[in-house]
Amino acid sequence: MAASITHPALSSLYKINSNINGIYSLISFNRRISISSVRSSSAVATETEASGRGVRGQRRSKRQAGEPRSERMAVDQDWTAVYPTAASFKPAAVPLPVRMGYPVKRGVPPAKKGNLELIKIPNFLHLTPVAIKKHCEALKQFCTEWPSALDSDEKCMKRFPIQVQSKEFVSAGLSLRNPDARIVTLKVKLSSLNLDDHARKKMIKLSEERYCKDTDTLTITTDSCPLRKQNYDYAMYLLTVLYHESWKTEAWEQEKTRADMEEYEWEDSPSQKKVLDTLLRMRALGAKDEVEEGTREELLGQPVVQEYRDTMLRLKNEGETEENLHKYKEAVKKLFNI
Amino acid sequence: MAACVSSIRSVRVLSKIIHGHFLPAAAVQHQASSSRWLHGTRGSALSPAVSLTEEPDTLYQELSVRVKGHDRAVLDSYEFFATLAARELGLTLDRAFEPRKHTEKLTLLKSVHIFKKHRVQYESRTHQRCIQMSRVTGSTARVYLEYIQRNLPEGVAMEVTKTSVEKIPEHIQKPLWTDCTLE
Repeated sequence: MAASITHPALSSLYKINSNINGIYSLISFNRRISISSVRSSSAVATETEASGRGVRGQRRSKRQAGEPRSERMAVDQDWTAVYPTAASFKPAAVPLPVRMGYPVKRGVPPAKKGNLELIKIPNFLHLTPVAIKKHCEALKQFCTEWPSALDSDEKCMKRFPIQVQSKEFVSAGLSLRNPDARIVTLKVKLSSLNLDDHARKKMIKLSEERYCKDTDTLTITTDSCPLRKQNYDYAMYLLTVLYHESWKTEAWEQEKTRADMEEYEWEDSPSQKKVLDTLLRMRALGAKDEVEEGTREELLGQPVVQEYRDTMLRLKNEGETEENLHKYKEAVKKLFNI
Repeated sequence: MAACVSSIRSVRVLSKIIHGHFLPAAAVQHQASSSRWLHGTRGSALSPAVSLTEEPDTLYQELSVRVKGHDRAVLDSYEFFATLAARELGLTLDRAFEPRKHTEKLTLLKSVHIFKKHRVQYESRTHQRCIQMSRVTGSTARVYLEYIQRNLPEGVAMEVTKTSVEKIPEHIQKPLWTDCTLE
């Protein structure tokens, strides 16, 4: 009926409907048209009444709400058609007797009709298990499988030693961006790199606190660039530079002193000289006074001296523990034949 | 299947409109063509929308999704959704646990003027959930994360930590200085 369509109340309704979900609007619009065509006579009557009240009357006549849609829903219907996407809770469209809110005095929580609490809370009616399975079926074609050869972590680390860690943030606020998303952390084990002894020591010295001795991991964290890609490139650049610089031997590296050494070395140490001295004195009670190269090597080659050397190295490099101190005591006793 | 796919795609286009961001057509197309690793190619069951690229897929040893919100029930439902989606898409779920909630308390004066002894206390509780997955390929991770993030409810924030594993690049495999004389 042309009259009902050009009715001002209905025309404003049509404008509202066009902003909502396409599927839903069609159903509701059709319903409203069908209801209005039945009640067009009563609508005309109320319109004359409203115009009689005055120019101010922009009020729409209050129509009677029909039976809720949930009454006419089949038990085995396709729920994904009712809630295909995230939408607010519609009490007429959800056939569940849900109650929510603070209970009325000596009563129960309020019913779902006109319940603001149910509308406020985010609902997952569009993500039922059936819907999730449907979505995943459609998405499966874009997924790839993990290579079967890399079952365990060890195999992964062996083939792919470099680990790059980054974060992503999703939140609603004044800004979508989160500056922490640009930080990139690169971790690599030095044992997996092609380094010789000198290069390894130099690399450790160059990286200072970024190297962890217990796990043999070099950790490079970059956050100086504004984009994640730039930070990643910078981290790889730092790793490359460290690697190539550590293979170089500069002229001034010859001046490395005992204080610069990373580990304690027994050769040419005061401890070795003292032991030699003591042994020579022990021997020289009846023998000659001169020191010969041959005797020096001989003395150092003795198993008791070697044992003493081992315990000294262990004490200095690993630290003082009960076991280490005990072994040192035994070694010293054997050296002096106590 | 095609009808189902098209309907779901149209549904997802609508969902983009409702959520307020209008993605350009190029981005919608991007979804359709993702990169795949040649090592694990599927059989001939590829629809024309999916294209394979030469670029190798990234490998994530660990993917950790942490969601934070003020309502524990909403996070419960979201965890159910995320774990079911992970299982359906074939991701190995390590564990889904609940870190301790963070409570921020404020003590303010109850009255506008004077009455220092009478205060009122407010608190803001932030609940968290953490879902950890291991051994995920880049394409799968992108698909899963996009699906999860599009269905993130209002008032919930997400933080994703990705740990990718890579080979040693070519320029670090051998030192440059073996060919030239050492300084």
